[in-house]
Amino acid sequence: MTLPFLVILPLFGAFSMPIVSLLGKKLKEYWAVIISGATFAVAAKVFYTVWRNNEILLYTLGSDNPIGRGVDFPIRIVWEVDLFGALLALTITFVSFLAIVYSLGYMKHDTGLEKYYTLVLVLELGMLGVVITGDIFNFYVFLEIMSIASYALVAFRNDTWEGIEAGIKYMFVGSLASSFILLGIALLYGQYGTLTMSYLAIKIAENPTLVAKVALAFLIGGLLFKSGAVPVHMWLADAHPAAPSSISAMLSGLVIKAGGVYAIARIVFSIFNPGLHIYLRTFNAPSVNMDVIGWIIVFFACLTLLVGNAMAVVQTDMKRLFAFSSVGQIGYILLGIGIGTLAYGTKVGELALAGAIYHIVNHALIKALLFLVAGVVIHEVGTKNLNELSGLAKRMPLTTFSFTIGAAAIIGLPPLNGFASKWIIYESSAMYNPILAAVAVLGTVFSLAAYTKVLFTFLGKESERVRDVKEPEKSMMFPMLVLVVAITVMGLLPWQISDKIMIPAAKMLEQLNGEYILALLKFIGGA
Amino acid sequence: MGLIVKTMARATIPLIGIFGAYVISHGHLTPGGGFQGGATIAGAGILFLIAFGINEAKERINKSLYSALEGLGGLVFLAAGMLGLGVAFFYNTLWYNGPIFNGKPGTLLSAGYLPVMNLAVGLKVYTGLVSAVFAMALFRRWRK
Repeated sequence: MTLPFLVILPLFGAFSMPIVSLLGKKLKEYWAVIISGATFAVAAKVFYTVWRNNEILLYTLGSDNPIGRGVDFPIRIVWEVDLFGALLALTITFVSFLAIVYSLGYMKHDTGLEKYYTLVLVLELGMLGVVITGDIFNFYVFLEIMSIASYALVAFRNDTWEGIEAGIKYMFVGSLASSFILLGIALLYGQYGTLTMSYLAIKIAENPTLVAKVALAFLIGGLLFKSGAVPVHMWLADAHPAAPSSISAMLSGLVIKAGGVYAIARIVFSIFNPGLHIYLRTFNAPSVNMDVIGWIIVFFACLTLLVGNAMAVVQTDMKRLFAFSSVGQIGYILLGIGIGTLAYGTKVGELALAGAIYHIVNHALIKALLFLVAGVVIHEVGTKNLNELSGLAKRMPLTTFSFTIGAAAIIGLPPLNGFASKWIIYESSAMYNPILAAVAVLGTVFSLAAYTKVLFTFLGKESERVRDVKEPEKSMMFPMLVLVVAITVMGLLPWQISDKIMIPAAKMLEQLNGEYILALLKFIGGA
Repeated sequence: MGLIVKTMARATIPLIGIFGAYVISHGHLTPGGGFQGGATIAGAGILFLIAFGINEAKERINKSLYSALEGLGGLVFLAAGMLGLGVAFFYNTLWYNGPIFNGKPGTLLSAGYLPVMNLAVGLKVYTGLVSAVFAMALFRRWRK
């Protein structure tokens, strides 16, 4: 069984980092690269296992069986990995590995690097834990591990005012959001007496009380915050520019996905299954009206993709522009999840969910690439103000090429991977409600305007500041080129990937036949 | 600090330390455990820092030793969790068929890997808290 190594390896790397860093000066960096590379290999293995067998992997901590002796309910922590979780684990380890390789060159001038690498590995660990767990308190613990590591990493450069300011803002409001989530979990535990997600789903369907609805509201509220949806996106626009660029790539590509939209999808579809509650309603049994949740998510999604992309147009700071663009892209993902909830059980809903999952992966790769490019510009030129920069293309051809690929992909030009996922989201939203599709297209128009502006930084007339810049070193170039290759290859096979991976992942998440619950129930027997 | 405080600190620091060690090592038998005991011992460290001052502490507290010990605490915890990996992560193999930690419940050497984990957590909490407080005490100066 390889699954526990997904958590053991980064944990081992983080705990051994203070000892390893005593042994040699450069050793800690290579150690972090080795550990994250090995974690990537484990995630690839887990993903392949889940994908090939097309069934949910259930792993019990502490025993071979989650059911307690002499009782017929689960008493142990279980990890449940479906294709969605495995796909996210693969994306997380891939981008984290590249971000750590990038840090070799990028973080060279900073001090306290053994803490930096410990925190990066802990951040990776927290995100992996969030996507593999099947226990809601375990989910909270990993969410906090992830959040606290990212607070510390945002404020890592504590000699700059913006790092401290963004870190404090992120920490204060982030802790408030986490406490909402904890309150939601406490309410569910008090009402139903279990913390296992799939067993909780059964208990809630048996007796959907007001407490369950209140808890759902707290959980969705806290998690919308963590994903940077619009009324509560202000931390993101400060945190991403202030963090070191390798961390911005992880924050924007992974943290808001794993701790935000993934968790929303998991709670909406696996704990409060819309299908189960529609079924209850047809028999006039008490149920949670999941359409309301769907509309709430769609409302915030539309707001997010309009405001996020529109705010990106007016920015003059390169990384702040990318950060607002991340907010905008989260809007598309939430739109897919919202329509997946509303049109549950139909072809449209499945398509929307597949589009959301596809866009999570694509945006993780694209935005990681864009933030790494921004890091190169800051590292080589020393400013990220778009007004002072123009005409980098001649001095940095490879960086310019990477940026062009990234910008084209995020807008959704056909030969690149952003096209397919955005197309699926447009298509499903147009089929569900044309107004939503119009809003989504309007968001992309803003996004196009914003990225065209940045393109001038690279392609315009050469300015005074960029006279003697050069390409960065190999360890910074390599992750960018790997991401360019990944984006292009994924862009060449859009419908194959969609049919082979994203649609099955959406089906498994949707759990039309209660697969997520059955994976646990088969231990109880006679489900 | 004055003479009375220093003398009292000399007398109480070992007592606090011994009590903390007791809480950690009896974590599986009595209330408390790794975190509570570790925090108690860290209280002794903070008393030392306050009573004897920052210069004395600078000589006695080795930063890299403390951060290495903190890592070691985590590693021991992880290793204890991995002992039963043949069955599952965190399978308490020391309790089911371990060499010494499977005594009669209620005795000190019972409960499988729990005492080991308590010691590891205690070490991690103690070193972590003391280094955090020490780093804050050393933090540059009040104004520029």
